[in-house]
Amino acid sequence: MQLRVIYDGKRGAYWNMAFDESLLVHLDEIGPTLRVYGWNPPAVSIGYFQSMEEEVNVEKAREMGVDLVRRITGGGAVYHKYEVTYSITLPEVKGRILDSYLVIDMGIIKALQNLGLNAKHHGINDVVVNGKKISGNAQTRKYGGLLQHGTLLMDVNVDEMFEILRVPEEKLRDKVIDNVKHRVTSLKHEGVNIEFEELQKVLVDGFREALNAKIYEDEVPDKVYEYARKLEVEKYATPEWNFRR
Amino acid sequence: MQPPSGISEGRAAYKSGKLIKVHALFRDDEIVDIKITGDFFIYPEEKIENIERKLRNRRLNDAIEVIEEEMKDTEYEGISPEALWNAIREAWMRRK
Repeated sequence: MQLRVIYDGKRGAYWNMAFDESLLVHLDEIGPTLRVYGWNPPAVSIGYFQSMEEEVNVEKAREMGVDLVRRITGGGAVYHKYEVTYSITLPEVKGRILDSYLVIDMGIIKALQNLGLNAKHHGINDVVVNGKKISGNAQTRKYGGLLQHGTLLMDVNVDEMFEILRVPEEKLRDKVIDNVKHRVTSLKHEGVNIEFEELQKVLVDGFREALNAKIYEDEVPDKVYEYARKLEVEKYATPEWNFRR
Repeated sequence: MQPPSGISEGRAAYKSGKLIKVHALFRDDEIVDIKITGDFFIYPEEKIENIERKLRNRRLNDAIEVIEEEMKDTEYEGISPEALWNAIREAWMRRK
């Protein structure tokens, strides 16, 4: 398989989600694409079915300058700051959702193994190192293709994360935060100190190995960017989309 | 959703591999309004809005048929017709 790679920078939440959707919409014309990117300013993305107000302390997020965006993929709320994020578009695969996660998540697992870590798939859509979550992933299937995006944590600050993310039972807040601290890890916590750009390359290499893909770097046609700009303004930046549930 | 008189409000969070949250208004055993949220996966995603729409003004005991019909051509993880039905029933049992 030929796989286009886009090494992208740290960008705004609305653009990140808009560009991923545009890559999926144009999959037939441009072929499978792997994009590796980051977030600036930091952001919270919530899953397609989640309620922004239930998951996020909106006022606090605004105070802290954290952008809020709804994804077109399901899954949970994610605080994006110290991480490399990837998105991959592939022709639609038949078969069980879980099976396609197992295949695509191998890209992250290979990358982590190449960094000397003991990584494996866990549950439906997570990757764990030594039993702790280091990567969460979410996919959708539409426009005749599949989009999966996910995170690889370089560092994590659970206290900072829960200043913005809500916990289901406020009374159990300390317990929940303590629990998450024991269940989540990052490259830094596992003793791997790596720069953003270097980790992008490691991740791309992981996907190349896992998918047996021939990697090439190439710009996408202007219309992919133009459609992304339209989605950014008319969809992802709007309260109608972000607060629809 | 604010409950008017004669209407009770129920909420539930049901674990099914992922979390299914239901916030519903009931008049006796009739679903007046319902919102289904959570971190599950279902394709196509828009089916959830169809299910919410079709559950309005239906009796609780008819809900499973509506859900099964709507989900029969979908793919899902972390949710199933039975799990969604259980979440709705739990919201009904917890109604105030």
